[in-house]
Amino acid sequence: MSNQNLVKEICPTTTQEWIKNGALLVDVRENDEVEVLAYDVPLILNIPLSEFENRFEEIPTEKDVVMVCRSGGRSLRAAGFLINHGYNSEKVVNMQHGINRWVEKGFPTKGDTSVVLGNTTSNSCCTPTSGGSTSCC
Amino acid sequence: MKNIKVLGTGCSKCNTTFQNVQEAIKRSGIEAEVTKIEDIEELMNYNVLVTPVLMIDDKQLVKGRIAEVNEIVELLKK
Repeated sequence: MSNQNLVKEICPTTTQEWIKNGALLVDVRENDEVEVLAYDVPLILNIPLSEFENRFEEIPTEKDVVMVCRSGGRSLRAAGFLINHGYNSEKVVNMQHGINRWVEKGFPTKGDTSVVLGNTTSNSCCTPTSGGSTSCC
Repeated sequence: MKNIKVLGTGCSKCNTTFQNVQEAIKRSGIEAEVTKIEDIEELMNYNVLVTPVLMIDDKQLVKGRIAEVNEIVELLKK
């Protein structure tokens, strides 16, 4: 998705594995976006990017963290910000393609998925599968 | 010479800021070198969260919004 080496990136399917192993999701979308459609996972923290600089220390340093947003761009910058502020680059990763791909894959959400499904297109990687495959993307 | 950087992801706000910088330089007559930075890794090195960011002489002066021409002219005078 992006040409960079600072932040490790994983797809939504791999994110499921991280969640099973106790990872925290940090959603950096703004509150109005989250009100419409939210990730439905056990451990989630919403810190909008507009507040991130002042609130990032709410994110525990010892935990595995997956940064998420709508399409993966904002969360990538936030993940880079965390790593630049001393967070472990093995523990903080970015989820590529955001909630757009998460919804396409049929992963759990709360809210109105039509806002995503009506506006996205798939590319060759990580296209939705009917068999519920857990192989990456 | 002033060193100006416009950091952004290539969005319309970033492009408008870049155009406003060029206009501000023209109006003020101040000599400046302007660089547009869109590479994601470079953006992360600058710890940019919200875009666009206007940097003058390595200081991030405007973040997350379009810097207006008059505003940039004033910033260049400082």
